[in-house]
Amino acid sequence: MKINGVAIEDTFAEAFTMRVARLVITGRTMGWAREAAVKLTGFATSVIGCKCEAGIERELSDTETPDGRPGVSVLFLTMDKASLPEQLIVRVGQTVLTCATTACFDGLPDAPDRLPVGKALRVFGDGFQASKLIGGKRYWRIPVMEGEFLIEETFGMLKGVGGGNFLILARDAEAALAAAEAAVAAMTGVPGVILPFPGGVVRSGSKVGSKRYSNMIATTNDAFAPTLKAVTQSQLPEVVNGVLEIVLDGIDGPSIEAAMRAGIRAACRPGVHTITAGNYGGKLGPHHFYLRKILG
Amino acid sequence: MSDAVTLSLTTPPEHALVADCIRADRLAALGEKEIGELPVLHGGRAAHVGDFFRVTGGRSGTVRLEGDLSRAEGIGARMAGGELVIEGHGGRDLGVAMSGGRIDVHGDAGENTGGALPGAGRGMTGGEIVIRGSVGDEAGARMRRGLIVVTGDGGQGTGKGMIAGTVVLFGKAGPGTGRFLKRGSIVALGEVERPATFRYACTYHPLHVALLLRYVGVRCRVDVTPAQVAGRYERYSGDLAELGRGELLRWVGGGA
Repeated sequence: MKINGVAIEDTFAEAFTMRVARLVITGRTMGWAREAAVKLTGFATSVIGCKCEAGIERELSDTETPDGRPGVSVLFLTMDKASLPEQLIVRVGQTVLTCATTACFDGLPDAPDRLPVGKALRVFGDGFQASKLIGGKRYWRIPVMEGEFLIEETFGMLKGVGGGNFLILARDAEAALAAAEAAVAAMTGVPGVILPFPGGVVRSGSKVGSKRYSNMIATTNDAFAPTLKAVTQSQLPEVVNGVLEIVLDGIDGPSIEAAMRAGIRAACRPGVHTITAGNYGGKLGPHHFYLRKILG
Repeated sequence: MSDAVTLSLTTPPEHALVADCIRADRLAALGEKEIGELPVLHGGRAAHVGDFFRVTGGRSGTVRLEGDLSRAEGIGARMAGGELVIEGHGGRDLGVAMSGGRIDVHGDAGENTGGALPGAGRGMTGGEIVIRGSVGDEAGARMRRGLIVVTGDGGQGTGKGMIAGTVVLFGKAGPGTGRFLKRGSIVALGEVERPATFRYACTYHPLHVALLLRYVGVRCRVDVTPAQVAGRYERYSGDLAELGRGELLRWVGGGA
């Protein structure tokens, strides 16, 4: 299978089940909402080192938010049920509560599993906090120097999907970067999906474990590193000199598929040789995204 | 089962009509005939719903009342769910001690709306009452939770002794509004007299009021202006003669 002369390898991206929450952060301006969202989702690229993965899903207009102000939708994922509220309480408390003009709302109101994030953060009010029940939802008003910080008492949690991916194998690093940027542009704003890495792009794809250091849980993916072609069991064709990876997390499989479809099509451009995907033979996770099936 | 139970007033009461059996959750389990046989008190004498109303439909959680019910007392008392719409005025003790559901009055309502039963420490503990008109004295007195929206004026002592919950007044608030408030919020979009035992805290944009008014506008279909949603409010803490954890929020303009 080829798209614009770029080979689509007959393989699949292997992803795993994560727990996901969606937060809607609003602010007096989009700028302030974004400030909080950027801080909240900082250092949240991979569960390997950050214990969570997070990113901005999309910006919301004032007609899409509960309080009628501009906002940002954020997806937040962890590997298990217990660590999601832990991460959210710490991060929302340090990045959204502290950010001028913002408020924080649940973006998964129909999810039956509820995380008591606002309920935990309310104690910052030192007994001066107050709650309001509006339309069946409880909100906490935490007095702060600016006025009040408003946060919903609970946030919904769903089973999500982490680790969707594809790799762009290009003739040089410049072509790989241009294709990755085009893919990210096409995937940005696809509902239910985030790209947790810087600029949505990963240059340091990893393999499980280490050939040399027993304490390492992940090390460089030497089979896809062009500088190691001569000294390792490389999977790169001779003409490939640059590889970049796009990693996706999402609310569910169809969302990941929709984003991968848009991203891969955009990445098939001059200078790109092959699009492939990372998997572990089906042993890592239950979600398998077959590239040719998605694009077919 | 029908879409709604309709009670049309055919014989206007000459005296006070105690009709606390008319509540949406109770009527949801009854048929047309059974509803007509429910007991009421007219001028202290026993009577039946059917003596005053023509009943149409049954076994529905949506109840529609038609006619001037300003002499009917206790409609929606202890209501725990469902929706009750009054196409006209409502009487005193409307929705007293209710714990859920919604009462929507397309007219005025009487004294002690959403308040407490005689001798009880708590008024309504949940649900919503929307009055598309003015309300009598002591609406929301001792309410523990829930929402009362009054598009017209409030009577004397609105929200008196409130334990929690919210009262929104679009018109003029009566004297003594919020007196003995323990917790809870009174949002005054019109003229209001601050009780002496309330203390000014600040003027700010309370986001929960924006959220609340948007909800009132969309869900309760009450006209709310963008300026009221995004405006500035003076916050008065009180009643300082009580617990002092309540608030009177007075709209002072601003916003869009």
